[in-house]
Amino acid sequence: MSPGPILDRTALRRRRLAAGLASALVLLALYETAQAVIAPWRASSDADWTAAEAAVRAQFKPGDLVVAAPAWADPIMRLHLGDLVPVKVAGRLDAARYGRVWEISQRGGRSDDAVGGRVAWQEGHGALTVRRYERSPATVTYDFLEQWPRARVARAQPGRGEIPCERQIDRVQCPSISWNWVKPELLEIGTTLRNALYTQPVGGAAMIVEYPDVPLGRELVVGSGLHHVWLRKIGDGTVRLRVLVDGRQVGTSDASNRSGWRIDHFDTGALAGRRATVRFEITSAKPYSRHFGFAAEARS
Amino acid sequence: MRRLVVPLALALATIVWLLAVEGGQGIGRDEAQYFRAGERYWGWFESLWDNTVHGRPGASFRRAGIDTFWGDNPEHPPVMKTLYGISWRLFHRCHCTGPTRPLHPIPVRGRHLTIPLFARESTAFRFPAILMAGLGAALVYLFARRLVGPVAGAAASVLAVAQPHYFFHAQIACFDAPITTMALVVGLAYWKSLRSPRWGIACGVLYGIALGTKLNAWLMPFFLIAHYLWIRRHDLMKRRLPPVPLAFVAMATLGPLVFFASWPYLWPDPIARGRGYLRRHLEHEHYNFEYLGRNWNLPPRDWDLRLLRTTFPLVSTLFTVPATTLALAAAGTVVLIRRRRKSEDEGAEPALLPDEPTGEPATWLRPGADVDRAPGAFLLVQIAGPMLALAVPSAPIFGGVKHFLPAMPYLATVAGVGVRWLGSLARELAPRFRRALPAALATVVCLPAVAETQRSHPDGLSHYNVLAGGFAGGASLGMNRQFWGYSVLPMLPWMMAHAPASNRIYWHDVLGDALSMYVRDGRLRLGMGNVGAEEAAIAGSDLGIVILERHFTVYEGAFWQSYGTTRPAYVRTHEGVPLVTAYRRPGAR
Repeated sequence: MSPGPILDRTALRRRRLAAGLASALVLLALYETAQAVIAPWRASSDADWTAAEAAVRAQFKPGDLVVAAPAWADPIMRLHLGDLVPVKVAGRLDAARYGRVWEISQRGGRSDDAVGGRVAWQEGHGALTVRRYERSPATVTYDFLEQWPRARVARAQPGRGEIPCERQIDRVQCPSISWNWVKPELLEIGTTLRNALYTQPVGGAAMIVEYPDVPLGRELVVGSGLHHVWLRKIGDGTVRLRVLVDGRQVGTSDASNRSGWRIDHFDTGALAGRRATVRFEITSAKPYSRHFGFAAEARS
Repeated sequence: MRRLVVPLALALATIVWLLAVEGGQGIGRDEAQYFRAGERYWGWFESLWDNTVHGRPGASFRRAGIDTFWGDNPEHPPVMKTLYGISWRLFHRCHCTGPTRPLHPIPVRGRHLTIPLFARESTAFRFPAILMAGLGAALVYLFARRLVGPVAGAAASVLAVAQPHYFFHAQIACFDAPITTMALVVGLAYWKSLRSPRWGIACGVLYGIALGTKLNAWLMPFFLIAHYLWIRRHDLMKRRLPPVPLAFVAMATLGPLVFFASWPYLWPDPIARGRGYLRRHLEHEHYNFEYLGRNWNLPPRDWDLRLLRTTFPLVSTLFTVPATTLALAAAGTVVLIRRRRKSEDEGAEPALLPDEPTGEPATWLRPGADVDRAPGAFLLVQIAGPMLALAVPSAPIFGGVKHFLPAMPYLATVAGVGVRWLGSLARELAPRFRRALPAALATVVCLPAVAETQRSHPDGLSHYNVLAGGFAGGASLGMNRQFWGYSVLPMLPWMMAHAPASNRIYWHDVLGDALSMYVRDGRLRLGMGNVGAEEAAIAGSDLGIVILERHFTVYEGAFWQSYGTTRPAYVRTHEGVPLVTAYRRPGAR
């Protein structure tokens, strides 16, 4: 007696949709099993990273930026190339001032820090792709963080005018309130690390950080936000940063628990090439547990 | 007896699998505390014995005699911790009088006489949780078999265990896998109680044990009531009160009694301490948790974030449960929805095995005797209930998938319905292989779950399924990678090899109790330094780690500032995804 056909064609015609779905399900199972077995072998390895490191080091020039894409690979990138990414670079305001960006990418990741660049060079190393992007870097005419020693700090209170604060070794301390100071520090803002000027706003007062004789470019780029995950958690006020050039407001920026590291571009095109006093005023109606940080650059 | 062979085999396979891998599983903050509490709770039994021998057993029942031992970790009920302590006492290989003696939370008066099943003390602590996972596997089979037969039932059991996040929790001495099993135990006792008064009584007792296992148990009655009202909806439509099931009466009476009896901590002041326990959880602090690229540590106020927060259980399920299991569950859902209609079809194989009413009238002893028990509705409330509770935007953000794990065995049961559908269809389409095909297909659809689960070990919390893109895909989506600092275990040898001469070591989120257990297990050198967990302690260290969770970025910054470099000395990864970074102070000897 010969066996019947493998498939019952009548039943198959009657149950076409169900058979299609069942086949898809079985294919999914096979695909998922294969992925589970293969995927670990397709992940980036130490050897891939070592090769990528060598490729970057061979062509790296001072002033280049090295980034990982996706950003979660950043610790491994720093394990291999951390000496090329000092704290000053790692905690940057943004990447606009870097004309050459080395991106070590995997899984098709692209770094926001390389946006606007063209791929000048590229090489694959296992699961990693090293790309060098080139672009016209932003010209920084004034870095407010670097020029911190030139800043004048004061606290302005209604009825008392501006109370000058005293420059100490690592900070400028304002009178009467022990925690009322301004200092450059590496801050955690929006779960990213940023070099910034740190201060706590004071209720009913404005913290003033003022720079005289600033060579202006076409814009003021200001990064700002609230520092420290635990401190953000226990407060909910907003901190406002006003930016004034020669007494005229060019922009404001509000930092809240949600805003993270916020970058604003304030137009100073009409003043480009001139020197002016740039003043930052920091206020908050609900200053409890608001630890504010900002960095700024004048760019042409 | 033959009917128990398969469930016993499934339980045994689960236990063997878990025991085979648990040694690679690090110790989280919570587990470390439960080790400590479990050993202390065991200490109470020792003291009870001593006091009894000395003719003063009452001393163990006075406030001081209780609080000395049961006062540890009173924010969680004691059933599992007590079992962990007893298991440790019975099964560890005692080196307790050696150099690690001071690391025990209770005095070691001499060498323990034990049945030395396990080389590591932590395994002895974990054994009851692993047994509970084995029990869970068996129960899924026993329940699913009645709905879908033995082959699909066995597949459901495998799919219940082979889920990376569940599997992670099933290895450790915590409460999440045990309460998942207890959700099954109580759910199935209720299911049977609908037609059997014995199970009604049992349901109350078992519910008391569930209350003593974990807080989730307080939600169980709501799910069961919802199901009961559904199956008796015709009573309600006729404006007739359905009988109050014996199971509910027992849960309301025996449940709290068993709960109270199981927890000596409550005995000296039941009202105040019971209230304190509940208040602690009603006012629970919000932990930090990464979800879709954001760090969540407060209930959101903005409507868009509230909406996003609501999606958490569903999206997390979609990304953490193996995709094939989800697809089977989708198929099973369709089958369950069409169940009654299908049974009236032209003699096709029934989608589910029959579960006819017994014909007896409904009474409070057999409140489901005269109605269809609606397995689909039962599974729905058991799956949706725990998830919906976690979807409420104002609910505390505790952490991950573990808080709705009790839904997962039921989800696997629905997937089992999908397996049965697949097998039935295959039999219909290929009658020549009608015997072999269902089992073969069941094996094929279980394979990805088993492979994914094995792949995920020991970092099940970092695992995301093929829909998310695996470990790396989950990281790219900004999904949570870990919590409680368990992931440091594989890098302990590196830490010992690179310990600085100063011995000033910062262990970040790894609790001192976890370090103690690593030492007791022989996996960390005795005397490794610990400068403390605070951010400021980093400045006083020469070697330290940062567990890579989004909200811990601030600690990484503290290393950069203090050590003057952004370059880690070591990065622990899984499939290329960083989990822990270690920094060593440049120039430190």
